[in-house]
Amino acid sequence: MVKSWHSKLTSSLFVLPYFICFAAFLLFPILYGVYISLHNFELLSPEHDFVGLKHYITIFTPGTYLNSLFFNGLWNTIQFVIYSVPLLIVVGLALAMLIQHLPSKIRGMFRTFYFLPYALSASVMSVIWLMIFDTNSGFLNSLLMKLNIPAIPWLTDQPWAWVSLITTTLWWTIGFNMIIFINALNQVPEDFYEAASLDGANAWDKFIHITLPSIKPVMLFVMITSTIASFNVFAQPFLLTRGGPGDSTKVLLINVLDQAFIRKEIGSASAMAILMALLIMIISVVQFKLTYGNKGEES
Amino acid sequence: MSMKRIKTLLLVLLASVIAVVFLLPLVWMISTSFKNDFEALSGKMNFIPLKPTFDNYIKGFSGELMNVPILKWITNSLMVGIAGTAIVLLIASMAAFALARLKDLPLRRTLLSMFIASLMIPGVLTFLPMYMEFNALGLINTYAALILPYTAGAFGVFLLYQFFISFPKDIEEAARIDGANKWKLYTSIMLPSSVSIMVTLLIFTFMGIYNDFVWPLYATTSPEMRTITAGIAMMAQGSYTQSYGKLMAMTAAAAIPVVVIFIIGQRSFVKAITQSAIK
Repeated sequence: MVKSWHSKLTSSLFVLPYFICFAAFLLFPILYGVYISLHNFELLSPEHDFVGLKHYITIFTPGTYLNSLFFNGLWNTIQFVIYSVPLLIVVGLALAMLIQHLPSKIRGMFRTFYFLPYALSASVMSVIWLMIFDTNSGFLNSLLMKLNIPAIPWLTDQPWAWVSLITTTLWWTIGFNMIIFINALNQVPEDFYEAASLDGANAWDKFIHITLPSIKPVMLFVMITSTIASFNVFAQPFLLTRGGPGDSTKVLLINVLDQAFIRKEIGSASAMAILMALLIMIISVVQFKLTYGNKGEES
Repeated sequence: MSMKRIKTLLLVLLASVIAVVFLLPLVWMISTSFKNDFEALSGKMNFIPLKPTFDNYIKGFSGELMNVPILKWITNSLMVGIAGTAIVLLIASMAAFALARLKDLPLRRTLLSMFIASLMIPGVLTFLPMYMEFNALGLINTYAALILPYTAGAFGVFLLYQFFISFPKDIEEAARIDGANKWKLYTSIMLPSSVSIMVTLLIFTFMGIYNDFVWPLYATTSPEMRTITAGIAMMAQGSYTQSYGKLMAMTAAAAIPVVVIFIIGQRSFVKAITQSAIK
C-alpha cells in the first residue's frame, strides 16, 4: 500500500512541472480573463468595479461604440476569411499537385522554394512587402511604370488593400497547406489511378473521382486550420495597411488590442476577446463534427 | 521528343516561373540591403546594386544607425528562443513520458484530454489576462515574460505522447527487471530513443518562439528588451521606412538565423506539421 502511494507520487512528479506552466499560463489566464471581462478594468486604475455582463450587453447594443468596434472588426475579419480561405485551399492543392508531377529529383528543391517564406516572422514578411508595395518607389509600381501602366496605391486604396493583404498571406503561409496536401496525395494508392486509366479516364476524371474523394478528410483539416488562422489575422493589416484605408482593414484582433492598449479598457477588450475566441471555437467544433461524422461513414 | 517529355518540360517551366515569384521578394530584400538610400528609393529595378555597399549592415550592427540596438535584439531573440525551447523539451517530454508509460499516474486520462483539448483554445483568449498577470507580478519587460508563456503549449506533450505510447513494452520491462527506476527509465531509455522526434519538436518550438511578434511587441516596453521580430515591427511603423536600404539590412539580419535553421531542419519541420495534421 505504501509502495503504491509512493509510486503514484513519483509518477505525478513527472507531470508536475508542465502542469504548473499549464495552470499558470493557460488555465489561470482563461479564468482571469472571464473575471476581467465582468469588471471595469482599466490598465492604470487600481480599482476594478464589478459590472457583471455590462460589457457584453454593450457590445450587442446597436449604436454604442463597443458595438461598432466589435461588429466592424468582425465584418472586416469575415471579409478576409472569405477572400483568403478558398485561395489558401485551391492554391495549396494546386502547388502540391504540381510538385507531385515534377521529376522526383527536383521535387524537394521546388518544395523548399514554395515553403521558404513560411520560415519568416510576420514582421520580416511585412517589411519586405511594404517595400514592394510602396506607391512611389516600390518594386511593383516601378514594374508597372516600365509597362506604362499608372501606379497603383496598393496599400492605401480599396480594393487594392485587400488584394495586397491576400497576396502577402498566400505568399507567406501557402507552404503549410501545400505540405499537408503533398502528404495526402502521397497516400492515395497508385492502383486507383492505374485502374482508372484502364477504364479510359482522363486527368480531370481522375482528379474528380479519385484524388478529391481520397483527400477529403485532409481537405477538411486544411479548411478549418486556414479558417481559424484567417480569423486570427492581425500582422498583415496591422503592419501593412495599418487598418486602412479608413477602417476598412481594421480586423477584430486589431480592435481588441487597440481597446486594451491604446484606450486602456481591459475589461471591455476582454469581453470582445472572449466573444472572438468563442466564435473561433464554434468553427473548430463544427469542423470536428464534420470530420468525425465523415470518418464514421467510411468505417 | 515524346509527348510525356514535353509535358514534363512544360511543368518544370511552370514550376520555375512560380518559384521566381516566391523567391523574388527575398532576392529584392537582399539586393536592397546593399544599396544606398538614394538608390533604394530611386524606383530603379536593378537587382545588382550600382554601387554595392556594406554600410547598412556595418552601421546597423555597430548600433551607429538609427539608434537601434540590433545586436541586442538578435541576442534577446536567440536567448529567449533557446531558453524557451529547452524548458519546453524538458517539461513536455517528462509529462508525455508519464502520460504514456506510467499507468499509475493519478487522473491520467483527465490530464491527457485536458492537455489535448487546450490545443483548440485560440490565443486571443489568454492574451490580455496573461498580460495583466505578468503586469501584476511586475514581470512585463523581463525575460520571464518573454519565455514563460510558451511553456504552456501542449503541442510538444501531444507530439511526444504519440511517440512514447507506441514505444515497445519489452524494452521497458527488461529495464525494470534490471532494477531501473522511473527517472532512469526516462533518462536512459526514453530520451535516447526519442532523439529524432525531440529534434523535430526543437526546431518547431524554436522557430515558433523566435518568430512570434505580437506577444513580445506588447510584453516589452524598453528598446533593449525587444526581440528582433518585435523590434523590426516597431521599425516598420516608424520613420525608418524612409530608408529601405537600412531597413532591409536589419530585416535580412533578422531572417537569416531562422531561415538557415529552417533549411537545415526542413525534414523535421515538415514531419511536425504532418503529425499535427494527423491527430
